[in-house]
Amino acid sequence: MNPVLAIVAPFLAAFTIPLFFVFRKKWVGTAVILFGVLSALTALFVAAGGEAVTVMGGWQPEVGIALVVDSLTTAFLILASLGFSASLSAAAETFGYGPWRFYVLFFLSWAATNGIILTGDLFNLFVFFEIFSVAAYLVVAYPPRSWQAIEAGFKYLIFGTVGALFLLIGIAYAFMATGQLNMAILARVLPRAPEATLSVVIGCLVVGLFIKSGTVPGHFWLPDAHSSAQTPVSALLSGVFVKVSLYALIRLAFLLFGSADDRVFFVLLLFGTVTLCLGHLMAFQQEDIKRLLAYSTVAQVGTIVIAIGCASSGGVTAAVYHAFNHMAAKMGLFLVSGVLAEDRASRDIAQMGGLFRHRPLFVLAFCLFAASIAGIPPLNGFMSKWFLLVAAAERGALIPAAAVVAGTVLSAAYYLRPITAFFGPAETEPPHHRPHPVTGAIVALLALLCLVLALAPYIGPLKEGLLAVGRDTVNGARYIERVLR
Amino acid sequence: MLPISYGTAIVVFCIGLYTILSKRNLFKTVIGLSLMEGGVLMLITSSGYVPGGVPALLPFAGGEPVNPLPHSFTLTAIVIGAADVALALAFIIKIHRRYGTVDIDKIRGLRG
Repeated sequence: MNPVLAIVAPFLAAFTIPLFFVFRKKWVGTAVILFGVLSALTALFVAAGGEAVTVMGGWQPEVGIALVVDSLTTAFLILASLGFSASLSAAAETFGYGPWRFYVLFFLSWAATNGIILTGDLFNLFVFFEIFSVAAYLVVAYPPRSWQAIEAGFKYLIFGTVGALFLLIGIAYAFMATGQLNMAILARVLPRAPEATLSVVIGCLVVGLFIKSGTVPGHFWLPDAHSSAQTPVSALLSGVFVKVSLYALIRLAFLLFGSADDRVFFVLLLFGTVTLCLGHLMAFQQEDIKRLLAYSTVAQVGTIVIAIGCASSGGVTAAVYHAFNHMAAKMGLFLVSGVLAEDRASRDIAQMGGLFRHRPLFVLAFCLFAASIAGIPPLNGFMSKWFLLVAAAERGALIPAAAVVAGTVLSAAYYLRPITAFFGPAETEPPHHRPHPVTGAIVALLALLCLVLALAPYIGPLKEGLLAVGRDTVNGARYIERVLR
Repeated sequence: MLPISYGTAIVVFCIGLYTILSKRNLFKTVIGLSLMEGGVLMLITSSGYVPGGVPALLPFAGGEPVNPLPHSFTLTAIVIGAADVALALAFIIKIHRRYGTVDIDKIRGLRG
């Protein structure tokens, strides 16, 4: 299947939903569901179609925009379609189909996400990043009544735009140094540029991607955006939006930076470790359950950046595997805590007493997800951290590995606080009880996904797939050869 | 000649970044964003300059044309930047309606 369809399908949804609203108001709900299914299936078909390179408009790769499907792309396309589908179902239950503008922005960000994942052109990457970001700022600020959400959206906008401008200036320098924008050609010619030029190009791109992905010191937008947004949006932010920037970091790190200068991986290890420690320590102090989860996301971003910094195929495998595990568990945590916070009409952990008797299944799912994120042995979070520790030990990066282990203990400690509250006595009965059948089903599916991912290293094809992602991504020469053939 | 234009672009970029980091007024923050964007766009546009070049337009009159590719990037980036600034200003209007101020120190909704 032509890879461009994975970008076109969500764009089609985004641009036709307003028409449905104008001409056939009753069909908006059906259209949203059908377009959601269509977009997810198209992305999955493109992912299942195997490796492919398409240059738009039939130009040569030097001139046209190349869309590249390889194993890393496949993994992230699957991650994005799972995350967006789960969030769309939860949003359809929470908001209903009245706010059609929200769905327009949702599908715009979906299309741009697929675009970032598929594109093989540096400037095109920037354009998709900006479509994605503008939609993301508005999705975070939804609904416009909520002041906190507006402020968080504004903060996200300032940080995101500064990050985007750093990306753009890095791309501009790369273009000025080589006259090329295709990533495969750049990977071939960029190492020949003078060393000072290389440092500036790589520095600008890394700073931009750090701000976009929420790595310290560009993380200030992340906790506010995650805690102020609506529940399905928080789940989406943590599950997919942060991962997309990390995808770009993986792709550029091994294609452009790695061949040019090995020191960049040391920088990634350093900042990953700082991010991990700061995220865990800040999460420890939070009273608001969604802020706790948000700082935990900061820490997991640090973990993935450390995995990239290992600069080996094992490290990339660990990064992708951990991205999947974090997506499954953190989306589940946000959805469950959204439901529980709505019952209590408060996000304060101290108010969360007695919720186990109130909603036993949701609380049990919370415990499973929390154990998975913290990395309790048989679960998926432990598996990916194990892969990461092996990769870090091979690299000789012992301090980051020790930080990951210490972080596991800390995160177990701070996840025990809400869990203790849930099982503790209640001062008052929870005032609200609205049934959440769809969110419940999604949470159950995510819990199942956690268990399947925990078994992934024992399931032959999945294990092979994960290892192939690492092998193919590190091997920049193979990517170059496939695009330029 | 060329290094002066590159240097100017970077100075403008840095002034924009400094504005964002140091000013407490939300409008000045957005002005800083615009300055940063302007700096990057100057850099891209000047990178296409060829000394004594002619515009790359058909019918081609002869002489060496300037590189038209950076100009198309600049146009794309201008559109994106306009969207960002418009959105930022819309957010500021909303925030002003709630707090009656655009001073970042007095907007305490998310601090702490």
